[in-house]
Amino acid sequence: HITEDTSDLLQHVKFQSSNFENILTWDGRPESAPDTVYSVQYKTYGEEEWLEKEGCQRITQKSCNLTMETSNLTELYYARVTATDGAGRSATKMTNRFSSLQHTSIKPPDVTCIPKVRSIQMIVHPTYTPIRAQNGHQLTLENIFQDLLYHLKLRINHTYQMHLEGKQREFEFVGLTPDTEFLGTIMICIPNLFKESAPYRCRVKTLPDRTWT
Amino acid sequence: QEFQFGPCRVEGVVLQKLWQAFWAMKDIVQAQDNIMSVRLLRKEVLQNVSETESCHLIRALLRFYVNTVFKNYHDKAVEFGILKPFSTLANNFFVLVSKLQASQEKMFSTRKSARRRFLLFYQAFKQLDREAAVTKAFGEMDILLSWMEKFYQL
Repeated sequence: HITEDTSDLLQHVKFQSSNFENILTWDGRPESAPDTVYSVQYKTYGEEEWLEKEGCQRITQKSCNLTMETSNLTELYYARVTATDGAGRSATKMTNRFSSLQHTSIKPPDVTCIPKVRSIQMIVHPTYTPIRAQNGHQLTLENIFQDLLYHLKLRINHTYQMHLEGKQREFEFVGLTPDTEFLGTIMICIPNLFKESAPYRCRVKTLPDRTWT
Repeated sequence: QEFQFGPCRVEGVVLQKLWQAFWAMKDIVQAQDNIMSVRLLRKEVLQNVSETESCHLIRALLRFYVNTVFKNYHDKAVEFGILKPFSTLANNFFVLVSKLQASQEKMFSTRKSARRRFLLFYQAFKQLDREAAVTKAFGEMDILLSWMEKFYQL
């Protein structure tokens, strides 16, 4: 009995996670027939059953949002996809063990940059995640990562940058030249897990000094 | 940077290094664990551990990892080419155990409840085939590190 190799039906089954938005993605055959369908199951590590993900049964697209199903931060998960083509051939592949705490990447923060005459104030807004506390409140990144801090830079000129860092959300670069443009970059850092967001950038011009006019 | 398990303080072990070492081998190690319906470090072992209990529990777990898990996983670490990260973790766990040993003598009260928690872990370990149990325990080090992180001060 010759078992047919169907591994080409399905590759790279993995979670892509950003700010705890956990999306399962996979690849099919480059020229996979349009009638290839995919079904998704997921499982909590340590439990018996595989559960079917509603809304991702016999679908044609190659991704499935498992955010709600994988939202317990103390749990680890697996997911698997079964691909079935028009000729009835099928293949199943599974992810590695997934921990959203370890795997999620961090998006740039949302920041308001406020120019003044000789300073620029930067207010970092909280980043809400899909994760909810037991009382139903949506958790922010700060709630989840105890060691989270913000890292800010202000480019003064080609050779000189000012740096600020801390856990608070309001920062101010002072002692600046009025009526001058500056480039600010702000990142979220989570040292313990080596996480660092891409930078949020704001280009701001200090106000003109009208005191003597 | 130090760990503070209740009254037990441990300096000189950097948590990021432990994470870095584990991530270097995580997928290789966890892929060897086919028993997905069993988790050794379950919620009942690690959740809601009091400060004073934490020193007892971490000491028992780390000693078990050093004396049983690392000892029996060494050959596999060589086989899978992950000896360097394996040694980083083993050495740091050994340092933790020895430093926790010194500070442990002052504490008696919560030993029983910590012991119960450790036994939950140990009994689950014993129910599996020896090699499978060692592989599973080794692959669950991220669960242990995540718990230890709560007691880590930068």
